[in-house]
Amino acid sequence: MCSTLRKCGTYRTEVAECHDHGSPFQGRKKGGNSLRDNSDKRNCHHEHGGYERPSSHCQENDGSVEMRDVHKDQQLRHTPYSIRCDRRMKWHSEDEICITTWRNRKPPGRKMRQNTQDGYTRNWFKVTIPYGIKYDKSWLMNSIQSHCSAPFTPVDFHYIRNRACFFVQDATTASVLKDVSYKICDDENRKICIFVNHSTAPYSVKNKLKPGQMEMLKLTMNKRYNVSQQALDLQNLRFDPDLMGRDIDIILNRRNCMAATLKIIERNFPELLSLNLCNNKLYQLDGLSDIIEKAPKVKTLNLSKNKLESAWELGKVKGLKLEELWLEGNPLCSTFSDQSAYVSAIRDCFPKLLRLDGRELSAPMIVDIDSSEIMKPCKENFTGSETLKHLVLQFLQQYYSIYDSGDRQGLLGAYRDEACFSLAIPFDAEDSAPNSLRKYFEDSRNMKTLKDPHLKGELLRHTKRDIVDSLSALPKTQHDLSSILVDMWCQTEWMLCFSVNGVFKEVEGQSQGSVLAFTRTFIATPGGSSSLCIVNDELFVRDASPQETQSAFSIPVSTLSSSSEPSLSQEQQEMVQAFSAQSGMKLEWSQKCLQDNEWNYTRAGQVFTMLQTEGKIPAEAFKQIS
Amino acid sequence: MGDKPVWEPIGSSFIQHYYQLFGNDRTQLSAVYIDASCLTWEGQQFQGKAAIVEKLSSLPFQKIQHSLMVQDHQPIPDSFIISMVVGQLKADEDPIMGFHQMFLLKNIQVAWVCTDDMFRLALHNFG
Repeated sequence: MCSTLRKCGTYRTEVAECHDHGSPFQGRKKGGNSLRDNSDKRNCHHEHGGYERPSSHCQENDGSVEMRDVHKDQQLRHTPYSIRCDRRMKWHSEDEICITTWRNRKPPGRKMRQNTQDGYTRNWFKVTIPYGIKYDKSWLMNSIQSHCSAPFTPVDFHYIRNRACFFVQDATTASVLKDVSYKICDDENRKICIFVNHSTAPYSVKNKLKPGQMEMLKLTMNKRYNVSQQALDLQNLRFDPDLMGRDIDIILNRRNCMAATLKIIERNFPELLSLNLCNNKLYQLDGLSDIIEKAPKVKTLNLSKNKLESAWELGKVKGLKLEELWLEGNPLCSTFSDQSAYVSAIRDCFPKLLRLDGRELSAPMIVDIDSSEIMKPCKENFTGSETLKHLVLQFLQQYYSIYDSGDRQGLLGAYRDEACFSLAIPFDAEDSAPNSLRKYFEDSRNMKTLKDPHLKGELLRHTKRDIVDSLSALPKTQHDLSSILVDMWCQTEWMLCFSVNGVFKEVEGQSQGSVLAFTRTFIATPGGSSSLCIVNDELFVRDASPQETQSAFSIPVSTLSSSSEPSLSQEQQEMVQAFSAQSGMKLEWSQKCLQDNEWNYTRAGQVFTMLQTEGKIPAEAFKQIS
Repeated sequence: MGDKPVWEPIGSSFIQHYYQLFGNDRTQLSAVYIDASCLTWEGQQFQGKAAIVEKLSSLPFQKIQHSLMVQDHQPIPDSFIISMVVGQLKADEDPIMGFHQMFLLKNIQVAWVCTDDMFRLALHNFG
């Protein structure tokens, strides 16, 4: 029993350090003060949204507040019962209950460094997304925006190493953004973390150009604007005589200058088509990325003779639908092994590009479809829009015409550099396979039975060269495209999966004439020139059933033709096949058309086109795909 | 591809698990699909775990046996796997039919789920 306890009293509002002897209030003051100090720091710390942030938060030059040592203070905070009591003492005895309450469990109220006198806050907050560099900027910002109850304007978006950062202006927004942390899932199902700290104003705001400077810049830009071509030439802007004469230093690398320039573009040249930023010592394009919103119609961009080190920087302006780009004279140009790797990388970023460094790029293949239309982010139009079906059919026709041509090397253009191909047949021992399938046996990769890991690895071809070589070694074929059945069964933002079921004939060798059935699954991405590029190719081949053999390549007797039906020559059969592939009509209809035009292919084609535009050809005449 | 072909054992065990569930109790297949999954069954499409399981459960047979003849697996960029299965199936007392199925697998947290699935019976009426 401690008499001091009684003296402590029942209601203490301060930390009491209890000693065996002596005043219970000894050291109270110290405790009290330290509490008060801690709580201030805790106030700020709360902005982090929790105690996740260890003291390793480093200060960045833009002046965001240092939050060091909070962890340490936190520890001090959380040893509240630093009561050096004699353990023999009991707190509660039969007749005495000592209750202590602790002050400042919760921080009193946030003390903001705000100028509330004016009625509006001048707070700036820095929002940081660790590993934000992984995500596509517009996806990230849109996702965050969609979780916020009110729209916000991100200022000075930039990357520092792996982090994505931007600034927002008021406390409410900051608080809303803090709550978005761990709410957004990326496509690997990891939750995205968002930190929000107090900050000084962002660079471009702190160093905002004065109205006089803006006016001068605007006049200078006006002089450099070509109205008829809607082109703005800002090359070597810093050393423009007008600007230099007024002592205005427009260094476009600096966020404030770039922001001012873009602001003027947005106000005065929103329909801008061409922008020349040559020779401005640009080493990063963070600031330029806002051009996507401010001048979305820009089709020609000249970034030559700058200091861009990596093609990755271009990703920041990827939203522009560029047709012409100049990059020569940047360090990034020499980072590629050869010219085609360079062109390929740039085209990946800007799929609609027609000219790079003044040179025309190879024309896009087949149908010119906007890639964004091909790959819808949501699966709503799943069975494929008409354009998608059209694209796939065209692709298959092109693919198989090369495949059947006798020289499969042309297929190199259809595959990505790192693509996968394997094939399988339903026979595991060479002797059990029928003659027709023997030649496929060597390449057959059936994971169920194939145990040799080396062979397993070999038979999965994974470079396009390997793939085309192994395809070239397979027997020569003739595919019946009029009877294929296509399932488009998966569509994501970047890939399309479709399976083709059909039959083909062996055209030479021992098993000439035998009909085989196949199912081939392709996974393809939009290619650089509005076509499809194969990433995965899986082929399954088996003997065709008697029914399939019969209906394959058959030219059925058409009820529309004359009663005496002479059998068709080889050449005529080929014409029917080709006509069917080109027109999209079923075989019997194609045959009828050719017959009616005395097997004059060109004339038949003209007649077909004419009838089709007049709408005179019934839908049933055309091949169906699912 | 210098890495170990992890897609093969993953694909194989998924397939084994799938057909086991299918044969025992099709309603349990909801475990392998997610809400974003899509099944293309003989050309018809079913979106979402619930619709898929409903379709599979409502198939007009009680008993089903699968015999898997061929399997092949390929890796797809961004950590997907595509698995192909060809085999034979027998539903109740019906004659044996061939089938071909493709699975697109994705790693979600610790499990591999099927995001897209395509099934076709082999004896198909072409043209």
